[in-house]
Amino acid sequence: MSTFSIGRKVFSFASLIIGIVLTIWGLGVAIAKGGPLYANRGALMVIGVLLFILGLYLFPTLTHHRAIVNIIFLFPLLFAFAVTVIIPLVLGIGYSFTDWNGIKMKGFVGLANYARMFRQPSFLWSILITFLFVLFNMILVNLVAFLLALLCTSKIKGLGFFRASYFLPNLIGGIVLGYIWQFIFSNVVTKFTGTYSMLSDTKTAFIAIIIVYIWQYAGYIMLIYITGLNTIPGDVLEASSIDGANPMQTLFNIKIPMIAPTITICTFLTLTSAFKQFDVNLALTNGTGSVPSFLGNYLTNGTEMLALNIYSTAVINNEYAFGEAKAVLFFIILATVSIIQVRISNKKEVEL
Amino acid sequence: MKKKLMSVLLAGTMVLSLAACGETSADTATTSDNTAADAQTETQAETTAEAPAATEEAAPAAEATGSFDPVRLLNGKPEIDAQMQALAAKYQEETGNVLTVETIGGDTNASDELKKMYQADNMPDIFVIEANQADTWDGMLADLAGEDWTNKTGFELVNDSMGTIGFPYTVEATALGYNADLLKAAGVDPATLTSPAAWQAACETLDSKKDELGITAVFGWCAEPANLGWSSGTHVFGQYLDAGLKADDTTYIDLLNDGGKIDEARMKSFAEFIGMMNKYSDPALLVDGTYDLQVAGFKEGKYVFITQGNWCVTSPDDVTFECGFAPYAFEDGINTIIAGPPSYWVAYADGNVDGAKAFFNWCAGDSAQNILVNEAGLVSPFDDCQYEAINPFYKSMKSYIDAGNYSGWHTMLKKDGLQNVTCQVFADYAKGSLDADSFTSTMAQVIASYYAQ
Repeated sequence: MSTFSIGRKVFSFASLIIGIVLTIWGLGVAIAKGGPLYANRGALMVIGVLLFILGLYLFPTLTHHRAIVNIIFLFPLLFAFAVTVIIPLVLGIGYSFTDWNGIKMKGFVGLANYARMFRQPSFLWSILITFLFVLFNMILVNLVAFLLALLCTSKIKGLGFFRASYFLPNLIGGIVLGYIWQFIFSNVVTKFTGTYSMLSDTKTAFIAIIIVYIWQYAGYIMLIYITGLNTIPGDVLEASSIDGANPMQTLFNIKIPMIAPTITICTFLTLTSAFKQFDVNLALTNGTGSVPSFLGNYLTNGTEMLALNIYSTAVINNEYAFGEAKAVLFFIILATVSIIQVRISNKKEVEL
Repeated sequence: MKKKLMSVLLAGTMVLSLAACGETSADTATTSDNTAADAQTETQAETTAEAPAATEEAAPAAEATGSFDPVRLLNGKPEIDAQMQALAAKYQEETGNVLTVETIGGDTNASDELKKMYQADNMPDIFVIEANQADTWDGMLADLAGEDWTNKTGFELVNDSMGTIGFPYTVEATALGYNADLLKAAGVDPATLTSPAAWQAACETLDSKKDELGITAVFGWCAEPANLGWSSGTHVFGQYLDAGLKADDTTYIDLLNDGGKIDEARMKSFAEFIGMMNKYSDPALLVDGTYDLQVAGFKEGKYVFITQGNWCVTSPDDVTFECGFAPYAFEDGINTIIAGPPSYWVAYADGNVDGAKAFFNWCAGDSAQNILVNEAGLVSPFDDCQYEAINPFYKSMKSYIDAGNYSGWHTMLKKDGLQNVTCQVFADYAKGSLDADSFTSTMAQVIASYYAQ
């Protein structure tokens, strides 16, 4: 004898079937752009999905009931993740093999977009300066942030004020920050130097972006370091001072090894965020700056980093598919670097 | 019991959140613009005893007799949004038809927004495009040939494959805008500025009388690339393409679009002219300036010339002097300014084409031109328009247009994004890291490699 009533079985199967039918109907009319109940396609789909879930919940099984409930509870999250991350990623990779211009797609071009981007000197330049930017930032942001953190965990007066003011730049959006600093560089700094602004020359503009980025990001990383430094047990520090360790020895032999996990997190954070640098770059220089000779070409995108290069390829130059191909490469670089970095850091932590 | 209550609560929240997800996706097709809501209520008031036009999608199905379905227009000029709303109200008052105006502006550009609208299947019936964007919409724009308004203007946009597609709603002109009062005080006649030698002499005269005239520099010219790249890379560069040519002469734009070729001799003369502009410009503005500083300087009488168009001074109240245009005479005899519609309104072929056509014909008429010219400050592209534009540059513009001394906006037909490359070369030249010869060769090289990409 079954543990489930006939009524429940029928209700469950009926809900499942009607749910699937309604969902497909909703999707169908949405794709065909017309048909019966076209205006209610959204409602059709929602009711369909809800019925399907209800049917699934009442599915006559004891062994898998718990698993089904788990899936149902995970569904909203998985759905949101799929809609905002997985589907765009797959579509984006698909588009990178076409000649899509944002509106029309004439056909597939295979790997042509990928081959083309490695023959484009301005893109190679963007990759180069992005790596340079990441390198400088990873070191400088962490250094500055760590020094600020040491300062803010010492016994100086007005600690709260310093912490708040170092963190404040991080609360200002990158675009606003870019315009503020653009004004500072072209209207204030020039008053003192008497020359053209730093932003009009590629090398100095690059330095300017790094300065602004450190100013924006060091406060945030500082907070994480402060948390790290505060987790060091007081008795260890006390023991070291009794043993006669000077402040330098305490710093290098106790504090830094003890906060190794924090250093991992901070390097990882600065690394990925520096790679994805976009807003300050856009607002401060918009990628301008000339490079007289790079691979035999006169380049005009001296300070254009990868993310901005992808944006201008797609949106300004109207080559969405080409931009997608570059974005796929960007994704691969970012994923690889992040994985390698986390692996290395994890190993180090064990050794320490 | 508590546990059960909790699970019911959680499950309820989940279902609600799911429903919330679904609802938004179902709603995206309708506009959230407040004007759209107004239009809907208006539609409902009008279409009495007709099919219920509750949503926008349902509206096209309702066939109103003797009039047209509501038309949606995407306006790309945020500065005239209020006037466009007034235009829509007037249109409804006179014809009973509904026009919904949605404005894109600020940080979003219309072509980018249109791509999103296209993907979301939410296209407006009328939208704004620049001439070189026509190919992007190949086969999707309605042919407006034979409409009444086409007989009243020579400024419509004609495309090889789609026919007459663009309705000109304004005419803009660009050349070297001047402050006539200052020129008069210095004894320079702007009508003589049609050769490089005359320009050179005028610059020297003006420069020597700087203190007397109270000016900072002869030219208010800014080659800053990050924010003003459109000015140097598109407008000033456009003078190389069109200055001195008849409006339908496409010699240099054709050469450019044939794989990025330039006429070296012409570019060299152009470079020397730009070199002269660099020399007599305000150094504080030239490399690091902004549009606001440039225009403010001109309005305050700090510069005699400005490298912008009639849009930089829109109201007679802004200036206390007479304005005019002088040509970029980098070769002897150049006497034209660039004039024409910088962008057009087009009708989406899958949208309400009849409604759009009806609106265009009405828009070319008297009451619409009254609003566009007198309230929005636009310059009418129509021959029979009886209104004099209020723009301080209008008199000068009209004298050039009436004499046939105007060239086309062919700079709008260059490859997308070229201005971001060329503006940097202008900036380097302004900074002094290039001279006229290397400006020419660098220009040739960057354009060729940009077209090769």
